[in-house]
Amino acid sequence: MSAQTETTSKKVGWGLVNVLVLLYAFVPVVWIISLSLKGGDTLNDGKFLPANPTSDAYSKIFSNDDFLRALANSIGICLISTFIALVLGTMAAYAIARLDFPGKTAIVAMSLLISMFPQIALVTPLFKIETAVGLFDTWPGLILPYITFALPLGIYTLSAFFREIPWELEKAAKMDGATPYQAFRKVIAPLAMPGVFTTAILVFIACWNDFLFAISLTSTNRARTVPAAMSYFTGATTFEKPTAAIAAAAVIITIPIVIFVLFFQRRIVAGLTSGAVKG
Amino acid sequence: MSTLVAQPDEAVDIAKRRASEGKRAEQRLGMLLCAPAVVVMLSVTAYPILYAIYLSFFKADLRTPGNNEFIWLSNYVTVLSSPIWWSAFGITMFITVISTAFELIFGMMLAVVMHRTIVGRGLVRTSALVPYAIVTVVAAFSWRFAWTQGIGWLAGDSAPLTEKWPSVWIIILAEVWKTVPFMALLLMAGLALVPEDLLKAASMDGATAWQRFWKITVPLIKPSILVALLFRTLDAFRVFDNIYILTSGANNTSSVSIVAYNNLIRGLNLGIGSTMAVLIFITIAIIAFLFIKLFGAAAPGQGTGR
Amino acid sequence: MRERTSRRLVKRVASIGAGLLASALLAACGNSGGGVPTINLYGSASDAGFDQILGPCNAAAKGRYKIVGNLIPSDADSQREQFVRRLAARDSGMDVLGMDVTWTAEFAEAGWLRELTGEKKQQATAGVLQPPIDTATWKNKLYAIPRSTNVQLLWYRKSLVPQAPKTWDDVLAVSKKLKSEGKPYIIGITAAQYEGYVVGFNTILSSLGGTVVNKDSTKVTVDAKTVRALSILKNLATSGLASKSLSNSQEPEVFAQMQNGEAAITMNWPYVLSAMRAANKKVAADLGVTRIPEFAPGVPARATLGGLNYAISKYSKHPDLAFEAAMCLRNPANQLKGALSPAGNVPTLKSVYDQPEFVKAYPMKDDILAEMKTAVPRPVTPLYQNISTIVSTTLSPPSAINPDATAQELKDKIQQAIDGKGILP
Repeated sequence: MSAQTETTSKKVGWGLVNVLVLLYAFVPVVWIISLSLKGGDTLNDGKFLPANPTSDAYSKIFSNDDFLRALANSIGICLISTFIALVLGTMAAYAIARLDFPGKTAIVAMSLLISMFPQIALVTPLFKIETAVGLFDTWPGLILPYITFALPLGIYTLSAFFREIPWELEKAAKMDGATPYQAFRKVIAPLAMPGVFTTAILVFIACWNDFLFAISLTSTNRARTVPAAMSYFTGATTFEKPTAAIAAAAVIITIPIVIFVLFFQRRIVAGLTSGAVKG
Repeated sequence: MSTLVAQPDEAVDIAKRRASEGKRAEQRLGMLLCAPAVVVMLSVTAYPILYAIYLSFFKADLRTPGNNEFIWLSNYVTVLSSPIWWSAFGITMFITVISTAFELIFGMMLAVVMHRTIVGRGLVRTSALVPYAIVTVVAAFSWRFAWTQGIGWLAGDSAPLTEKWPSVWIIILAEVWKTVPFMALLLMAGLALVPEDLLKAASMDGATAWQRFWKITVPLIKPSILVALLFRTLDAFRVFDNIYILTSGANNTSSVSIVAYNNLIRGLNLGIGSTMAVLIFITIAIIAFLFIKLFGAAAPGQGTGR
Repeated sequence: MRERTSRRLVKRVASIGAGLLASALLAACGNSGGGVPTINLYGSASDAGFDQILGPCNAAAKGRYKIVGNLIPSDADSQREQFVRRLAARDSGMDVLGMDVTWTAEFAEAGWLRELTGEKKQQATAGVLQPPIDTATWKNKLYAIPRSTNVQLLWYRKSLVPQAPKTWDDVLAVSKKLKSEGKPYIIGITAAQYEGYVVGFNTILSSLGGTVVNKDSTKVTVDAKTVRALSILKNLATSGLASKSLSNSQEPEVFAQMQNGEAAITMNWPYVLSAMRAANKKVAADLGVTRIPEFAPGVPARATLGGLNYAISKYSKHPDLAFEAAMCLRNPANQLKGALSPAGNVPTLKSVYDQPEFVKAYPMKDDILAEMKTAVPRPVTPLYQNISTIVSTTLSPPSAINPDATAQELKDKIQQAIDGKGILP
């Protein structure tokens, strides 16, 4: 009886905390959605919600071929980059966390240094290389830099993670008669997954939101991604900003991320539930 | 004499050789596993980074590629003796320290909520990440709109973006709002590794929630904290998008990245611009070094795991 | 065991790499083919849709060339960034460049533009208003075909301001009177730290007869007139007659001040009329328009020119065809189309101003033409971008201007920029 009321009050407490989190996350987002629904007549009225919402901006961007093409580019480029970065990052991170080999410190230091250099200084030389090699304005032309700048974070996150995994469990499982593959799949993989999926989400979002490389290393809609395409939106005249269209595009391109996160966040659960660790 | 003693020697030798073979195999595997990542990173960044460092010693303009002139450290003297640079440096430091501190506190709180909540966990986790997912320039633009007098819901009759400190705080707000989820996600991944049993045992021994947090959780997720803090600081020090949209550096709110952008990309002054990039790089490297020293062995690559 | 796994991994990675490379090569090859030369136009996207403009011109080309429209980012800074990066790399993929009027000297001096001479010069300037030609000229040589032009006008609420203000003092007086009567009184100008602020400052300075740099851009020319121009800005900012957001106002904010009924008088581009009709019919019906007020009484104001020109890239492989294409894109029919489109591109060809459709859509065409007679380009110098950055930051915020000291600061910084010293703020 009392245990039940305790859990109920606990639930209510958490519910309130959750509401706070949702307010934090969504108030500014609602403002962006509201901007996307405002027409020219109410855009400047200073009200939080649109007085007479219109979906003009949405129909406008969905009839814009360049935007749709950019959406396809974004999805393709970011999925490929995330996948490759994860594979390469996991390999490197495993080695760094578990193995002893010369040059390890150098690799760790180098990857950190790379992620420290201001990217605006790299764009022009990178553009030169890509035009010389024929990668300018292609998918690989964006995928390569994305992988590069995702790898340091990936390697750091994953190796910090792999270090914390109790690898003795693998040995223990093998002693209990598990094959190496089983030991990996049943014991190690579940423990490693939260780190891998966290990294996947971070890498995907970083790639999805990149503007600098997208605008500098593309020139047509062959490889242009959404954030870059948005800077090509125009108002009715040179001096008007396409506020509603930009806001609408921002809302639209947030949806794939939400789906991506929904899909992956389930797997970021407590890896070590009671029973998995003994002693 | 020799045969009798030699035998155990040989055995040791073989054992040693085996061990060193195993060691060599491990070394080879380690290098092989790292090779692809290293190759990609180097092939994309080696030339651009070295080229930028090289240019920082030249008087160079993008419009006149033939007229580069080697001027030793003159560019560094010019930049480091400029009040514009130091004003931007101060603002950048301020924004970095304040926003990273807030992000760590709020990020930790959010991570605990995302990790522990017992109702609507999926909803909370997914929606908490939405701010990080919104394209930075759009978020910045919507903040600018919201804080503009007359047309934004937050501004009312004031015009905060026309004054220095209110602008700086709005920039910090925009930064913090956007990147708390980044922190939270990294910290939550760390929390997932804290053994429940340990916490339960501590709880039975009479440790309060606060003690459990400081004595068990924090030490265990130290590596995650380091990574999150490190990468956030690196990014925060290069703050650009939010300032560019919110004030474009008006009222002395320029960050070092804004100044570098104005010289390098707008002014096409490759020499000065590259010098600023190198100086930003050096500053960040120092910060990172301090962090790693501070956190000691929590950095990856130090020690060999288990 | 381990080793084999790792080798397999390496193999897999290698095959992924090869796949990437192959797709890159394919993409690079997909470009060629077809015997008709392609003329790549990089133009302002706010035009009346590429299809409408390109269609007729491609038809008129009768298969000799095909113009392909390429979008560029909507803000001028990103446009210039892209142009500069590609031109500096001698990219032959760009033929016709839609250029902001402020880039002419810089691009010409860098040797990126083809000079227009002889018959081409003749064709490009025939029937064109003189001020737009000036924006396409550097050191007495023509580098671009004037496509559209622009000048700010003075917009006011007829119900509040019964008589069109003639001088800046009139503007201040009427606003002060409105304020004392408790009516909307705000004077709106673009004074955020950006290019539009430089436009406003240049208009005031030129109207007083001043300049920022000399003709061949070797010396700074800041003097007493600059000090006076700075006092005018300072006075507006501290008079209580400007918006609180003055130092954060770009065109959209100035427009919003008018739309919300805060502002009585604003300086803004001709787009205000059509945009206001869409945004607020009541205010639109109440809009009055006149020339920029006289800053030196008795001397007509000299408005700052905006607009866009077509230049031919030095690295174009088909410069003659590119020229032909650009001339078609800005022929009278297409200029009229551009003017009537929502973009509202103000024509450079005199003949277009007499077309009945134009007269109907631009009731303020006489004001525009009158303003055009005295209008001036922004400081014509290869260092324009640097000088613009210096001017907008040194003068920001307008309320902090201290006329004498600010003028001296401006002088020092611009001279430093000319000498290639110092850093940009």
